[in-house]
Amino acid sequence: MTTTLADLDRARDIALDLSGWGRRFTFYQPRNFAFWGYLVLVGTGMFVFASSITLKYDAYGPAIALAVTSFAIYAALFWWFTQHIDHYAKLPAKLMVVAFLWGGFAATWVMAANANDSILALYAKSFGQSWALNWGAGLSAPFTEEIAKGSGLLLLIALAPRQVRTAFDGLILGAFIGLGFQIIEDIAYAMTSAGSQFGANQIGASIGTIFLRMVSGVAAHIVYSAIFCAGLIYLLGRPAEPRRVGRGLLLVATPILLHGTWDSLAAIGSRSALTLVGLLIAVIVIALVIVVRVYELTVRRERDFVRDVMTPEEARNVITAAELDAMAGNRKARKAYRKASRKRRERKRTRYVLNAAYDLADELAAARGADTDRVRFARAEVGRIRAGVPSSW
Amino acid sequence: MPDPETDKSSPASAPRFEPDAGWVPADERLFGVDRRTIAPTLAVFALVIVMSVVLPVVNAKVPYADIVKAGDVVELQGDVTFVPETGWGITSGVRAGNAPLSGEYPATATVEDTAVKFTVHTAPFDGDANKLLDQIETTSEALNHGRGVQLASAHTTVVTDQGKQGATARITGPRTAGVVAAFVFNGRGVEAVATGPSDTGPEPTAAVFRMIRSISHPGEGKQ
Repeated sequence: MTTTLADLDRARDIALDLSGWGRRFTFYQPRNFAFWGYLVLVGTGMFVFASSITLKYDAYGPAIALAVTSFAIYAALFWWFTQHIDHYAKLPAKLMVVAFLWGGFAATWVMAANANDSILALYAKSFGQSWALNWGAGLSAPFTEEIAKGSGLLLLIALAPRQVRTAFDGLILGAFIGLGFQIIEDIAYAMTSAGSQFGANQIGASIGTIFLRMVSGVAAHIVYSAIFCAGLIYLLGRPAEPRRVGRGLLLVATPILLHGTWDSLAAIGSRSALTLVGLLIAVIVIALVIVVRVYELTVRRERDFVRDVMTPEEARNVITAAELDAMAGNRKARKAYRKASRKRRERKRTRYVLNAAYDLADELAAARGADTDRVRFARAEVGRIRAGVPSSW
Repeated sequence: MPDPETDKSSPASAPRFEPDAGWVPADERLFGVDRRTIAPTLAVFALVIVMSVVLPVVNAKVPYADIVKAGDVVELQGDVTFVPETGWGITSGVRAGNAPLSGEYPATATVEDTAVKFTVHTAPFDGDANKLLDQIETTSEALNHGRGVQLASAHTTVVTDQGKQGATARITGPRTAGVVAAFVFNGRGVEAVATGPSDTGPEPTAAVFRMIRSISHPGEGKQ
């Protein structure tokens, strides 16, 4: 059977419809109940956090300044990395900001903090202070915090049903929710440390906490909520992601287990410092291995979308079959494509062509597959770079 | 593979129409609101209520059961100990010999008797007891912005049963009164704060001073 260009264009339209790729996100939606819910909860969280900072700034100003600066740089690096791995059917940046703010303010101050305090106190009353110190954090925070962060995704889906379509979208938004949670929680921890020595030696007291939180944060909230939210999408099902309850439950339970283990490390690895360090490294490695596997599992659908969107361009000879395979492939495929060119200059050019082809894909997505001026320009750019003609812009 | 000879089609030159994000289908409106967004929002609010209202209320209803018995000693980080008053409730901190599995005792312990609360906190500190009390005062003033609870009197000397000399000052607030004591044991500062209603009688006050005087650290003699 012969596949016509019209068939390929139709497949592209279907992929763009299903994925939501290129659709703009509007935050202000007064007729959306989730918009008001989000506004109330994030606004309340912001107020609580701002009040706390204002109250403590005169006492712990230097430590707060150090923590905010350090974690802002840390957040920027993670932001860049998360954007970097989302180069298939990209989500709008505004939606990621909305996710970040949920994690930073609503999930923390309106939900998890209150629940954690109460559960820890109840554990202490029921099983004794020592038991609560050993196991309280590991048996409260994983449930309250993962649920608090994950519940934000329910609001995000209600706010952006046309954009949040796949488990990969859940993974990315979950990572941003986790990033927000982690940054704001870390600032709060640094403030607590600043006061731990009666308000003296603030920088010395908080810098250890800041460093430890940065190192351990690599495989903490960001990873946990990325996995949890990917699982939540599988559990709920979306237009581009059929419901898979078993997989969803497994992915929702995994970060709870990882989080619980992490929070109980001091009790589990109490026999020796070496055991503790070994366990700490093991939990970080396991968490990273799991999130990489979940990434590989969820990203396939996104790559299929890229292939569907760009196949008509290959058919029209805008890009080559090798370029299409590289675009819709993984990092190794892109590397192999670049390495195929023998000369360094050619390798450099193939990288630029690939970047221009991704730009074209984004323009096609924004134009819903139509042949607009922007699309034609992006298409011309691919040809220009391939021909080695300098940019006139 | 597509066959260019049989298919000359090209993509549309204008994007297909899509309604904007604020548009709600007529059959999905409930008082103008998109009814599909109500259930997820209510689900999130239900979680918020459980976490921020139900759990704190349940916690408040459950009474403390960890009552101090005669002979109990509370231990803190850095081998600091104090003897809590019999009959008071331990609301944070652990008894000596009952360390968490990590082996590290917590830095803070609190015992309470009705509205009177006695908290001991320890951390490294470079200086003497008076300097520590000054530091506590500075931090307290910065946190309270001149309002609420304040250190109200000049420093006076207090001596523990172990013979360690410390500094104390009275605390006053709108409806609160109390005392703060500071000790420094070989680079380890100890802050003991007792607060309660202004009309607290002499009995709790005596109990608080007994607990302050019981604060000890191994290897400390009279200084």
